[in-house]
Amino acid sequence: MKKSGNLMSSKIKISSKDVSVFYSQNKALNNITFDIDEKKVTSLIGPSGCGKSTFLRCLNRMNDTIDICKVKGKVLIDNEDIYAPNVDPVLLRARVGMVFQKPNPFPKSIFDNVAYGPSIHGLASSKDELENIVLTSLQRAGLYKEVKNRLSETGTSLSGGQQQRLCIARAIAVSPEIILMDEPCSALDPIATAIVEELIDELVKNYTIVIVTHSMQQAARVSQNTAFFHMGNLIEFGSTQKIFSTPQFKQTQDYITGKIG
Amino acid sequence: MGFWSFSVFILIIAISAYWYGNTKALRLNSNSIEKLPSLPKYYGNYALIWLIFPCLLGVFLWITLNTYILDTILINHLPKELENSFAGGINMLVDRVKTINIDNPFPGTNPELIDAAIFLENKSNEVRAYFLWGIISISVLLCFVSLKKISFKFKARQAVEKSNVTLLILCSIVAIITTVGIVFSLIFEAMRFFDQVSIFDFLFGLSWSPQMAIREDQVASQGSFGAIPLFTGTLLITLIAMLVAIPVGLASAIYLAEYSSSTTRSIIKPLLEILAGVPTVVYGFFAAITVGPFFREFADFFGFNIASESAIAAGGVMGIMIIPFISSLSDDVISAVPQSLRDGSYAMGATHSETIKRVVLPAALPGIVGAILLAVSRAIGETMIVVMAAGIAANLTSNPFEAVTTVTVQIVTLLVGDQEFDSAKTLAAFALGITLFCMTLFLNLYALKIVQRYRERYE
Ligand SMILES: Nc1ncnc2c1ncn2[C@@H]1O[C@H](COP(=O)(O)OP(=O)(O)O)[C@@H](O)[C@H]1O
Ligand SMILES: [Mg+2]
Repeated sequence: MKKSGNLMSSKIKISSKDVSVFYSQNKALNNITFDIDEKKVTSLIGPSGCGKSTFLRCLNRMNDTIDICKVKGKVLIDNEDIYAPNVDPVLLRARVGMVFQKPNPFPKSIFDNVAYGPSIHGLASSKDELENIVLTSLQRAGLYKEVKNRLSETGTSLSGGQQQRLCIARAIAVSPEIILMDEPCSALDPIATAIVEELIDELVKNYTIVIVTHSMQQAARVSQNTAFFHMGNLIEFGSTQKIFSTPQFKQTQDYITGKIG
Repeated sequence: MGFWSFSVFILIIAISAYWYGNTKALRLNSNSIEKLPSLPKYYGNYALIWLIFPCLLGVFLWITLNTYILDTILINHLPKELENSFAGGINMLVDRVKTINIDNPFPGTNPELIDAAIFLENKSNEVRAYFLWGIISISVLLCFVSLKKISFKFKARQAVEKSNVTLLILCSIVAIITTVGIVFSLIFEAMRFFDQVSIFDFLFGLSWSPQMAIREDQVASQGSFGAIPLFTGTLLITLIAMLVAIPVGLASAIYLAEYSSSTTRSIIKPLLEILAGVPTVVYGFFAAITVGPFFREFADFFGFNIASESAIAAGGVMGIMIIPFISSLSDDVISAVPQSLRDGSYAMGATHSETIKRVVLPAALPGIVGAILLAVSRAIGETMIVVMAAGIAANLTSNPFEAVTTVTVQIVTLLVGDQEFDSAKTLAAFALGITLFCMTLFLNLYALKIVQRYRERYE
């Protein structure tokens, strides 16, 4: 296993230490150890079934919602173990937002979709403040212009790409520090994908982003660091440029050149 | 020729027709390079269909026409004097002849009648034989033609599939025609009722006492047919039932769909569904014997005096009866809400209960409303519990502790016992029936529309 040193002088935001995950008896992840830099895009690549989504779900404890799933090891965010007994996963998830593979807007209005997080966490003390948060989030997700006249329409009436950006707006409405994205573009057409990728470039100025992708080109385009997973193991981790130009391991090379996958 | 020998005969022809079609197709296939467009068995099936369909049709015709034909023959045969001497007219006479046991006639029976009966028996055998032979010759002919058709140009599979579809359509038409027939007979009888009682009095009258006088000079010789007390009674009981069933049913649906482990669920869900299968008369028993007296004693304790037959007892038990209905349907609806929506909510830092309240239930709401409306129309149509627990007194009241009655109960009480079929009292049942039918029909249509809209959203 290869662990890259801190690239440049960026601060470490998330630190995964010996993380193993079991679904009942099956080990889905095996001693994953690496660090994720703050305000950078880190992409997780690897053949399907290798545990990318599982790893991503460890970072906001979404695995807790799966009964048979057990996580061992430590995940430190800002040097605090999020699996420590005193950590409330509900509060943690407000700090670590998530965007899913298939856009999943709630069957509510566009406005209410974005207002969902702020209102359950009591982030806004007045209606104006709530509206302010919603509009800023929509702006940041690059969706505001398209939906400003139809905020009361249901979120499911938007196109796939717009729905996905609505989900991003929903996630950033609670001002998270980290945004997890699990193949956010796999259900989108190339144009919608390009728009979301641009958005990621923009968001990384304020957020730490971890993105799972099955597209090597996408990983190359949007991420600064890349982790390559294979069969539950972290094979290689390093700067995206280095992984794609001079991979250290044969499996990585094979995957990148399309021999496995 | 009897019916059984006919059946066996047809069966034998059927088997040989199938066998012949199949073999002929196989032979054609093996004797030439060209192949038949369908598998051999379809050629056998095709011949079979042309045998069976005409047979069924023929038997159906025979059953419907048989009585009519025989009656006509008998009437023409009976001597005029006999007809005139028989009190009750020709129809009674025909019925009388039919009831005679020709092997062992009742001593003292008019010999002319016995002769007529023997004649009828012979004719009936004759007509049956004509019919059966007719059926056999026509269907065998058709079957034969269809066997002749086997050639390289004939696509038997398409033909067989087409006739399968025809069969399915026919079956569904039977259900539709029956329903339409019922509705029309309801409308027809209701019209006769409205000839005697004005529709305005019926729909807006406040008093319901359909007891027609036995003698002309009796007090209240004219019954009154104001249906309002019945409909308010129905509404009151339905309302009470829903007040019980909706909260409890929904809560148990939420528990089942969201909280229970899969083992608990696999035990509770079938149990609930069994509960839905308990005959309503058993619930009615429970309402009358246990719940009604309970409410009366309860009220006694506080110094009130209420009847042991009360709307609240009937409504309460009906509510319990409907709980499994609502909870089972709502559970399906809630479980059908995509997991991705729940995940989305959890990922926002929502708790389980916030997720249920703010995402799952709103998403499932149309389906839940549909379930509730279906339950309402079931409550409206329920009879047994009300007969047993709420009584038959048509009180116009909104007090749940008084006895009330419902539309369905009145229909039953109007129709039981010896009734003339054209008295206003009996016909009133049809008027009530058609009104009730319209109400539940619209309710169901509305419910289905809502459920439909819900389906569209996630597909
Ligand atoms: N909910 C689950 N229950 C049981 N096994 C699971 C579950 N989710 C994932 N797995 C298993 O864990 C392994 C990794 O899955 P996943 O993390 O989804 O892979 P990836 O996202 O890289 O395609 C797979 O073998 C998969 O079968
Ligand atoms: Mg995945």
